[in-house]
Amino acid sequence: MTKTMLVTGASKGIGQATVERFWAGANDIDTFVLLARSSTEFDELRAHLAANNPGGKRFFHHEIDLNDLDAIRDLLPQIIAEAGRVDYLVNNAGFTAPSPIHEVRFEDFERTINVNLYAPFVITQGLLHAGNRFEFILNVASTAGINGRSGWLTYSASKAAMIAMSQVMKEELSIYGTRVVTISPGRCATALRRTLAPDEDPSTIMQPEDVAGVIEMLASDFGRFVDSQNLVVRL
Amino acid sequence: MYTLALLNGGLGTRVAAGQPKQLIRVNHIPAMVYPLVAVDPLPEVTQIVLNYPEGWREEIEKLVKDYAISTPITYVPGGSSRHESVRLMLPHCENEHVIVHETARPLVSTADFAELIASEHENVSFMLEIPFTVAPVEPETRRVTGYLERDRLRNVQLPQKFRLSTLQAAHEYAREHDLQFTEDATLCAVAGAEVYFIPGNDRNFKVTTKTDVKLAGYLLGAEGTDD
Repeated sequence: MTKTMLVTGASKGIGQATVERFWAGANDIDTFVLLARSSTEFDELRAHLAANNPGGKRFFHHEIDLNDLDAIRDLLPQIIAEAGRVDYLVNNAGFTAPSPIHEVRFEDFERTINVNLYAPFVITQGLLHAGNRFEFILNVASTAGINGRSGWLTYSASKAAMIAMSQVMKEELSIYGTRVVTISPGRCATALRRTLAPDEDPSTIMQPEDVAGVIEMLASDFGRFVDSQNLVVRL
Repeated sequence: MYTLALLNGGLGTRVAAGQPKQLIRVNHIPAMVYPLVAVDPLPEVTQIVLNYPEGWREEIEKLVKDYAISTPITYVPGGSSRHESVRLMLPHCENEHVIVHETARPLVSTADFAELIASEHENVSFMLEIPFTVAPVEPETRRVTGYLERDRLRNVQLPQKFRLSTLQAAHEYAREHDLQFTEDATLCAVAGAEVYFIPGNDRNFKVTTKTDVKLAGYLLGAEGTDD
């Protein structure tokens, strides 16, 4: 039976690289549900997928801001209606507005927690309540969730919470045989990284395609042999 | 097709004596959820009859909704004994065959239910060999009265399956003879039905005491997997 993969933050960075890799790869996933904010990158990704589709796969896309939790709740029934079910869930979307504590705007902190923590929770719980049985959930955390650094308070807190949430999901969803996997990428050349470290040369660090390769391995039959812990992925 | 009659005594009176009554939870998940999740994917089971302790229907229905159990469920109030609870569930069973299980055995697996369904016999119980010696005694005088050959005894487990008409007839027999049983395989056998066993496993034990709850949590959790 063919499978469905839902990817959040699908338009850029690790999300985009993951979609492209699974789209082109030999696997049993033939339906993709892509969630991202509206952007030219998102338009280009869809054009690229449509123009390069030797496997005859299909995708549904939704322009959504994951800060809007009610919009997510409204969208989930539509996703079930169009895709049937979600077998692979990649909670990838991330947001950051780095600031030292004295300068943190509380609404930025709320947005960070909404996008990085509450959105994956709402998506996962909402689909479970709809009777969806996941095969595989991959939560993209960050090494920033393991070690805090000056200026990363909101982002580090959100990712630390995601690592903990993911560990709990792993135990609780084992009754369905769902594999819940957490990865914590280190420095990776994404738009979010440019916000965190604006002076860095992106060509010198890990690329989104590298992380997508790791995600592909984790989703494979071999993944179960290395997925027991939050997996740090870094150069 | 099968109906699962799921006995849901469920309240922690023995597990947490003196505390307000609550649903028994294993690893914080209600014990009743585990068998529901295990049986839900089986196409042969098209109905679940679930009983509930008095005053708990709303809570139980909410859990069924939260855990998105898709097999249709008929709710029936529990009886004053286990024997009576089963009897009260029987008129609500819509299929020719009934599987009886109890929520106090959360370690039951989908494979266990499938194995039971696949058995060639109609009336079947999981049963375990007894690894220790039991003696017949006279409790009043504490006199040991003889010997039991343990090779010819079995520890009765759940789940069990029966033809509905057989189970109904057995409960009618018990009513006529004023008998109460603590489970239905021996009831049916005593009532004259052909009942068979298939070997169970010791993982599928009954969670009764606080220690049992901890052990079940350990076995169901990450620590319970062999390194």
